[in-house]
Amino acid sequence: MIRIVMAGTAFSVACSLQPLVGQDPVIHVLAQFPALILAGSLLGGRFRLPQHLTGPTLVLALVSLAIWMLPRSLDAALLDPVWMVAKFVTLPLCVGLPLAAAWSHVGSVLRGFLKAQAISMLLFLGFLYTHAPMRLCNSYLVDDQQRLGLGFVYLACALILWWIIPVFFGQISSNKKDDDNDVSRHRIELR
Amino acid sequence: MSATDVYSAESGPNPQEALVKFTMLLGGVVFLLMMVFGLIMRVAQGDLISLDPEMFYLLLTAHGAGMVGSAALSGAAILWFFSARHLNLRSSIYIAFLGLFLAGVVLILGSIFIGGYGGAWTFLFPLPAMSGGLWEAWAGVMFCVGYLLIGVGFLLYYLELGLKIASRYNGLLGGLGWRYLFANNSTDVPPPTIVAASSVLVFNTIGIVFGAAVLAASIVNLLLPSFEVDPLLAKNAIYFFGHVFINATIYMAVTAVYEILPDYTGRPWKSTKLFIGAWAAVVIFVQAVYFHHLLQDVNMPAWTMAVGQVVSYASGVPLIGVTVFSLAVYIKGSGLKWDLPISLLTLGVVGWGLGSIPAMVDGMVSVNKLMHNTQWVPGHFHTYLLLGEVAMAFGFAAWLVRDKAVTTLSSLDRLVFRAYVFGGAGFVLVFLWSGASSIPRRWAVHYEQWQLQSQLASGFALIVVLATLVLVVRYVAGLARRSQ
Amino acid sequence: MKQVTFTLSAALLGCAAIWQATDGGRAVTAEGARRVQIAENPVHVPPVSLETMDGSLQMWPAQGQPILLEFIYTTCPTICQTSGGDFAELRDHLTDKGLDVPMYSVSFDPVTDALPELQSYGEAHGASGQPWTIARPETDAVAGLLDLFRVTVIPDRWGGYQHNIAVLVINPNGEFAGAYDTRAFADIRSAVEAML
Repeated sequence: MIRIVMAGTAFSVACSLQPLVGQDPVIHVLAQFPALILAGSLLGGRFRLPQHLTGPTLVLALVSLAIWMLPRSLDAALLDPVWMVAKFVTLPLCVGLPLAAAWSHVGSVLRGFLKAQAISMLLFLGFLYTHAPMRLCNSYLVDDQQRLGLGFVYLACALILWWIIPVFFGQISSNKKDDDNDVSRHRIELR
Repeated sequence: MSATDVYSAESGPNPQEALVKFTMLLGGVVFLLMMVFGLIMRVAQGDLISLDPEMFYLLLTAHGAGMVGSAALSGAAILWFFSARHLNLRSSIYIAFLGLFLAGVVLILGSIFIGGYGGAWTFLFPLPAMSGGLWEAWAGVMFCVGYLLIGVGFLLYYLELGLKIASRYNGLLGGLGWRYLFANNSTDVPPPTIVAASSVLVFNTIGIVFGAAVLAASIVNLLLPSFEVDPLLAKNAIYFFGHVFINATIYMAVTAVYEILPDYTGRPWKSTKLFIGAWAAVVIFVQAVYFHHLLQDVNMPAWTMAVGQVVSYASGVPLIGVTVFSLAVYIKGSGLKWDLPISLLTLGVVGWGLGSIPAMVDGMVSVNKLMHNTQWVPGHFHTYLLLGEVAMAFGFAAWLVRDKAVTTLSSLDRLVFRAYVFGGAGFVLVFLWSGASSIPRRWAVHYEQWQLQSQLASGFALIVVLATLVLVVRYVAGLARRSQ
Repeated sequence: MKQVTFTLSAALLGCAAIWQATDGGRAVTAEGARRVQIAENPVHVPPVSLETMDGSLQMWPAQGQPILLEFIYTTCPTICQTSGGDFAELRDHLTDKGLDVPMYSVSFDPVTDALPELQSYGEAHGASGQPWTIARPETDAVAGLLDLFRVTVIPDRWGGYQHNIAVLVINPNGEFAGAYDTRAFADIRSAVEAML
């Protein structure tokens, strides 16, 4: 129940930001998008997902997120009402929810890989948005585009600190599944 | 080894052995092939054969990428093998690593020999996009994507290693031995291999991240030329990545010495505070020293030159002061019986140490201004690769297939070892001599007055190639013998 | 095995979706999408009345020949001035090749850009009216034109505007049929030549 309320809150926050997103891409991409994804993931956390659907679910989330990372999708969400509605539907239901539902099945190496991928994609976007010789979004000023690029970089730095520091101090959440799939270990036990 | 170790030499075969043996075979064959490429280049520079300069640069690119790749592959195999003595590593991850690595190699070879990419292994921005018509943009993209695949493979490899170390030794700080070093907590001090593994995975992951970032930027630049990267920034990222990555190969391979030498001397290699401190210094130095690749870039701030020069010197201390010195101490008076594996491993450490000396010389700003683009620099890195990493890799390979009944150097082994040392030393000395006489590097065609050196080098290179051929054949024969 | 099959199928579908969302890997930005889509599906341009810098009114676009245009506003301190220079170079490039194509710099700010402003912009960039002229539509036609040509204009906080700039091509049938980088002279020339 609490999760549903929290998801509702996150969704309302995202809706209340809508009047501001046309002015400021940082609010659009780094506040409204995460709020929508968070709303979906709060719903998806308790989902009981069958094991064989993990892969497709993860792919759905990653593909949807990839499409929303295209600069043209940002423009479309501002200029085209269909895309605007699609934003409020797909970010929670096709990114946040499936990601959270699949996460408990994901092994620790794949988790680490996805985290590393997220950081490198953010840095890559940061590079694109700060270095692009033209405006990437027709709806945003070039200064705001560069601000968004820096925002990607700051977010990447924050994620690095958040995800890496525990590895140094030993509080890592290891996944039980890792050992079940462990080929080498089976071999040892057989011996 | 402590009682909690997953595997010890007495408790049965290493679960990763088959995979590692296969990798060493692959690495050995590629080393040999790349040496042949190197020989062809030297012979062409000596004007003993005529080689199309375009082909020369394809070979140069393949030689660089192939050597760095097989050094990384063999180093990774060695580290994986010995880490598996202390950790419960999953073969599936290693197989994924190997698969991605090979896929990357296929793309790289395709981009070079089908696409005609000849922009050298360092893919220095914006060179991949400025082929002068020799290769199309797709060849440059393919080369970069090949590297990215290899980077992804290594990321998986280090993630598995890092996660297992962090859960076994209470975080990476435990794996690095820093709890013992800084907090004097002497419970569960990691063995040398784990200290090395932790250090390498920390700095090489950072290196690969920077490499991947600049590769992605280069790919965008190739596809959409109007996206320009600041070339100096790109150069910094590339040399940071390149320096860290090639150094990591040898820091991974040296674990073979830590783990194999005790079998011969009966004295375990211990994780002392000095040892752990040296590795802590390596983690810092290996990342800070790359500035010595940019001493000729006048736009770099002056402090980077100072750091580059100072750290070039300082890097030698943990290396020569600790590893080479410790090796001497462990060997001295142990009554060690020299056979081929231990001879090659010892050669590897000595060559590594010696190879850093020309680097320190070239790391001096005033010297670098004169020597950077001469053959002095290949002289430096061929010393610590040919007589260092490669020697360690073949030493490890020979140890994998050793015949336990034989404890001495057979006459063939002695001949091969001497030929390898003689040919290798001669080869690198000619490079250094050429560098000191201002012969430039990376030139496909040499003036007549430079050709004597190239011809001499060709002779030495031929000896090395033949010795390496015997080492590879001997390894294959050893594999066949043991599988019977 | 089932899982692998499922995941691979999903990945294939995902690639198809991304392929679709980027017009076949050709456009990641809205401007890129405009250029790709317009080239494939030209859009009919309904006639509007334009006032050119010589003060005359004309129904535009005239059919039967290709027309080049770009959208500007004359008080623009930056990109329109650069693109004005590019447009002048384009004119020289085309006339050198013997191509006499009508070229229009159309203001999307007709309230500020009255006749004198159009004339001084034309003077500054050497637009003599033939073949290149500066023009403005009627105020209530601006929104429709911008929409049709997929130009997004946003205020820049300094009293001016930022907008996606390109050289736009109208084909002899009176259809908006291409958008090009302002310095892609060779591409524009071959597009025009293909229409003659």
